[in-house]
Amino acid sequence: MIRAFDISVRLAGRQVLHGISFDAAPGAMTAIVGPNGSGKTTTLKAISGELTPSAGKVTINGRDLAGLKPWELALQRGVLPQSMVISFPFTVREIVRLGLMANSGEASAHDRIADEALEAVDLAGFSGRFYQELSGGEQQRVQLARVLCQISAPVAGGEPRYLLLDEPVSSLDIRHQLTIMRLARQFCAEGGGVIAVMHDLNLTSMFADQIIMMKAGRIRARGAPKDVLTDETMEAVFGCRMRVSVAPAHDIPFVLPQSAAI
Amino acid sequence: MPPSKAMGNGVVESPMRKPAFAARVVRDWRSGDRAGLARCLIVVLTLLAVATFTTSITTGAADASLANILRWLTGEADQAMSARDRIIILDIRLPRAVLGMLVGASLAVSGVVMQGLFRNPLADPGLVGVSSGASLGAVLLIVLGDVAFGPLFAVLGFYALPFGAFLGGLATTLLLYRIATRGGQTSVATMLLAGIALGALAGAVTGVLVFIADDKQLRDLTFWGLGSLAGANWTKIAAAGPIILVSLAVVPFLARGLNAITLGEAAAYHMGIPVQRLKNIAVFSVAGATGASVAVSGGIGFVGIVVPHLLRLVIGPDHRYLLPASALLGGTLLIFADMLARTIVSPAELPIGIITAFVGAPFFLWVLLRGRSNIGL
Repeated sequence: MIRAFDISVRLAGRQVLHGISFDAAPGAMTAIVGPNGSGKTTTLKAISGELTPSAGKVTINGRDLAGLKPWELALQRGVLPQSMVISFPFTVREIVRLGLMANSGEASAHDRIADEALEAVDLAGFSGRFYQELSGGEQQRVQLARVLCQISAPVAGGEPRYLLLDEPVSSLDIRHQLTIMRLARQFCAEGGGVIAVMHDLNLTSMFADQIIMMKAGRIRARGAPKDVLTDETMEAVFGCRMRVSVAPAHDIPFVLPQSAAI
Repeated sequence: MPPSKAMGNGVVESPMRKPAFAARVVRDWRSGDRAGLARCLIVVLTLLAVATFTTSITTGAADASLANILRWLTGEADQAMSARDRIIILDIRLPRAVLGMLVGASLAVSGVVMQGLFRNPLADPGLVGVSSGASLGAVLLIVLGDVAFGPLFAVLGFYALPFGAFLGGLATTLLLYRIATRGGQTSVATMLLAGIALGALAGAVTGVLVFIADDKQLRDLTFWGLGSLAGANWTKIAAAGPIILVSLAVVPFLARGLNAITLGEAAAYHMGIPVQRLKNIAVFSVAGATGASVAVSGGIGFVGIVVPHLLRLVIGPDHRYLLPASALLGGTLLIFADMLARTIVSPAELPIGIITAFVGAPFFLWVLLRGRSNIGL
């Protein structure tokens, strides 16, 4: 379980997060949604340990984040950042294998883990290509493969591990959006936990077990997709007067931008 | 026909059989794993370094062939070499080759570490003002040494000059890093421009110091600032060697961290790297290696930028291999450049900085013009 207790974050003198509290249970996918600049990425950074909250605390599997060394943390959670510019000519395999640094074990096992990770993100056969020559979406999937190498098993030593993903499908085509979201759901099904910052509300409602909806550095709604994605929250949080329809067959809410009033 | 026979006739490759070493290296390289290639290259570079070192000792105006040196060393024939030749070997060529190796290795490795730290192939201690800062530190000691730093000389002896250069380099590197990095992101443009400004400022202060220097100090400055290995002797090696060797011994431990930091400081932290500690050690190592090199050989340009770049094109940016390979190639190239410097216009000598600039600058332009998109500016 990853738990945030009343965390506040100040960046450059401005308060960006105001008392965020939530639980992200293993076995479940938690999605953080909200308008641009609502503090989604900052929340993810506070949970990953990259930012130290000015107040409140974060625990991972019951241990306070502040007391954990970087390498201890690296064994419990992997982080996919939003975008990444690399100025050196790494091959795909070399990037992916960077994720295995914290992983002790023999070289043959490393090769196998790296190959499996590339296959999981549908990049089998790309290992010899140069990272800089790939498209944005391919680069994003290479980075995800790297994170999957770091956290190769959803459960280790009896403890669940976590993937923290910042807009994991932002530059992907529809097919690979589904590939990656299914991958995340599979990770949860095997006992791990996923916290993802998302923009696509339809994908979110389709895959997330819990949605955290943020606005202006505060949580405005939290719960199952069908409780959070409502006409009221769409207007209150996103400022869009639109109808949230419910697909009758599967009880999954979806949002059509065409229904927007403005 | 039994199936085992079909396996054995060579048409069907058994999956259990290990492919030959060379085939394995090629296969790994195709699949994006250049570690095998890198290891091979390091072996080749080691042989090359030994060969260049030996050639440099036996090349020059005085005749001291390898065979003669070996016979003399094994005590087989004490008369194999004249006393004059022995002095030339022991007190001139040997310290020169050793210093060339040390300085070349330290310039190339400083380049690699700095480029890794700034996540940019253009960060070179010479280009971004660290060498100028180190020079300033050394000149400050030479000119104001008696007045302001008397006790320092008393305590440190001949270590004072490398130490001054080290402090100058350290101050410049820290300042540069502070200016160019905001919130874990290093701005390349800011870094280059700030580096040019800092270098110019250090140069201006150095100019003022040279202006107020007296005759004896001017002579010291001129000898020191030639950008040359010509003044190599065992005292200089004793002064700079330890600092360079300690820096070179420390950086391999940074290799994995530097690999991770290529993806950004945040990503490196996420992968379990204690980023702040890594940066501190890296900055001190660069300042130490650059400072000590500048203190004994003046500013020698381009080694720190050409050598790592060339090697990255071949074996990739993995610092576990890039660091040792750069040290070897840097040392080899500098000894080679020094051989050129002292033989082209023999018996006179060119400053080695001229040779490295003549070779390095066109090479650098060639690399840029080839339009390698993955230079990533």
